[in-house]
Amino acid sequence: MAFAAESAGPVLQCQSVERRFGGIVALNGIDMQIERGEIFGLVGPNGCGKTTLTNAITGFYPPQRGRILLNGRDITGLAPHYIATLGVARTFQNLALFNGMSVLDNILLGRHIHMKPGVARTALYWWLARPDETVNRAAVEDVIDFLQLEGVRDELVDGIPIGLKKRVELARALAAEPSFLILDEPMAGMNQEEKEYMARFILDARDERGVTVLLIEHHMDVITGICDRMLALNYGAMIGSGIPADVVADPRVVEAYIGGAHAAR
Amino acid sequence: MLFRQAGIFHTNYAADRALFPIAADRWMIGILLAFGFAAPLLVNSLYLSSYLLPWLIWTAGALGLNLILGWAGQFHLGYAAVMGIGAYATVHATRAGIPWEIAIVLGGSTAAIIGIGFAFAALRVKGLYLALSTLALQFVMDWVISHVPAISGGTQATLQAPDIRLLGQPITSDAGLYYVALVWCILVTSFMLNLRRTALGRALIAVREKDFAAAVIGVNSFYFKLVAFSTSSFIGGVTGAILIGTFYHAVTPEQFSVDVSIQALAMVIVGGLGSIIGSYFGAAFILLMPGAMNSLISWAAIRFGFSLSIETLAHLPQALYGALIIGFLLIEPLGLGKIYNNVRDYLLVWPFGYVKK
Ligand SMILES: Nc1ncnc2c1ncn2[C@@H]1O[C@H](COP(=O)(O)OP(=O)(O)O)[C@@H](O)[C@H]1O
Ligand SMILES: [Mg+2]
Repeated sequence: MAFAAESAGPVLQCQSVERRFGGIVALNGIDMQIERGEIFGLVGPNGCGKTTLTNAITGFYPPQRGRILLNGRDITGLAPHYIATLGVARTFQNLALFNGMSVLDNILLGRHIHMKPGVARTALYWWLARPDETVNRAAVEDVIDFLQLEGVRDELVDGIPIGLKKRVELARALAAEPSFLILDEPMAGMNQEEKEYMARFILDARDERGVTVLLIEHHMDVITGICDRMLALNYGAMIGSGIPADVVADPRVVEAYIGGAHAAR
Repeated sequence: MLFRQAGIFHTNYAADRALFPIAADRWMIGILLAFGFAAPLLVNSLYLSSYLLPWLIWTAGALGLNLILGWAGQFHLGYAAVMGIGAYATVHATRAGIPWEIAIVLGGSTAAIIGIGFAFAALRVKGLYLALSTLALQFVMDWVISHVPAISGGTQATLQAPDIRLLGQPITSDAGLYYVALVWCILVTSFMLNLRRTALGRALIAVREKDFAAAVIGVNSFYFKLVAFSTSSFIGGVTGAILIGTFYHAVTPEQFSVDVSIQALAMVIVGGLGSIIGSYFGAAFILLMPGAMNSLISWAAIRFGFSLSIETLAHLPQALYGALIIGFLLIEPLGLGKIYNNVRDYLLVWPFGYVKK
């Protein structure tokens, strides 16, 4: 399988990214650099701007100041659907699957940027679309196999449990063969076993499929367990970055997280 | 029972995506198609040309509207106007001596081009606002058609449509006209069936379900809405042209007025959004119901010996018809197509009802 991997340089760079909503400064001068093949953790209390940073990178809320570079290319202000074609995939904190479609069709939609949807191809399916559909179906089956979703392949996505929905969303993102994958709290609401599975999948996605991952997560054990480097945010500002073991020991991070009770004031 | 999934094992992806993997479905489609083609021999020509023919044409029209409404999820209250554009363009083209086969493509393309130009402006708004602007399309078209003599042939005018000619042969027999409608309906149906299994169909559903999630996987919502508008306008335009060529034989503005748009909308909604078989049911229901209501009331009036004023007689069927639609939507909002599916799902596992489908 071919990976969209430009050889050198960081995958993602954020340079003094700032995003305001009215009076609220949701992101304040964020500098972040993610190297190829890294699993990069992003942590911080609720409302500190993690999702907003994701939305800035994927083009939904372009930053008012600063620049975002993907594989060295400036993507600030580009349309979300265009950024997707450059190899960025993401999952949503509150699930965004397409209801009324099967698991298979949802994952097939992940292949959208590799397919050529068109009216003529649909009208003349047997001659023009079938080869394309079959090739992409094979790629999707790879992902289904990888994430062990065989059992629910033909189920409607509306009816499966939340843990599986999260996995289907990961499958849809991976089906696009992205070079950069953003996971927004993929383990929220999962039990211990499901979390361990998910952590395994994230590691395997990096190792076997060559994706670079930005992982937003609340559970510190997950971050210290699988992330190479991390960044901690509080009220939209960076309060610590580097190797997880160092960052979690930083008094400012401890204070933001535990609320100052244990931090020397 | 009839429907059996047991024992069907696919060995390649193409077979897994076959339109009708279940043998019973294939049989049913085969029988229906055979009946469709043999209908001129089996059905008397009054029924053929006043029931089957308009039903097939309106089914094709409803499917075209379903594409924009059921698949792409965009409201369209001006579908009759789109059909009218196709009809007028085709009639003018044939009157100018262009062969009919080319003229209907021109008619469809004219509808698609005007549809797309309009959608460019209208798609900047969503939901109810979009619905209102499509209604504006209807009124603008009504006005233009009736106020530009070059199009309508003068105010209150009826423009005769030349006979349909295929490869130079005039088609005038009831059977010939019926086959034109049948073939068009089959073409549109097969397009819609294919839409269920291609990247285009999935992209449209993605746009309908969650446009932000669609964007994140690289789907350009605006582009696909335009594709949906133009394709459905093309289908509508050709359908309008065929309706004139095979059924009305002359074109007037009232044939494509706002009431007709509402009627088309009712076909899709009663039939079921996004349901192909539902569009067949919906078109039949909306076409037959007023007549059926009329006969029912006159029969009841005689049977139970009550007499109704002309005024009431004229409005009662309409009221009953409206009540029936509301009743349907309350009981099964997904329409007749959903009811059909429920029955089918039940039969799929019968008599082992406890088995989940
Ligand atoms: N669309 C929006 N409009 C206004 N404020 C927003 C919007 N999105 C996020 N915010 C604000 O930005 C801040 C950061 O939110 P968010 O990025 O969702 O936090 P989290 O770190 O929990 O993901 C919050 O104060 C939130 O209220
Ligand atoms: Mg968040």
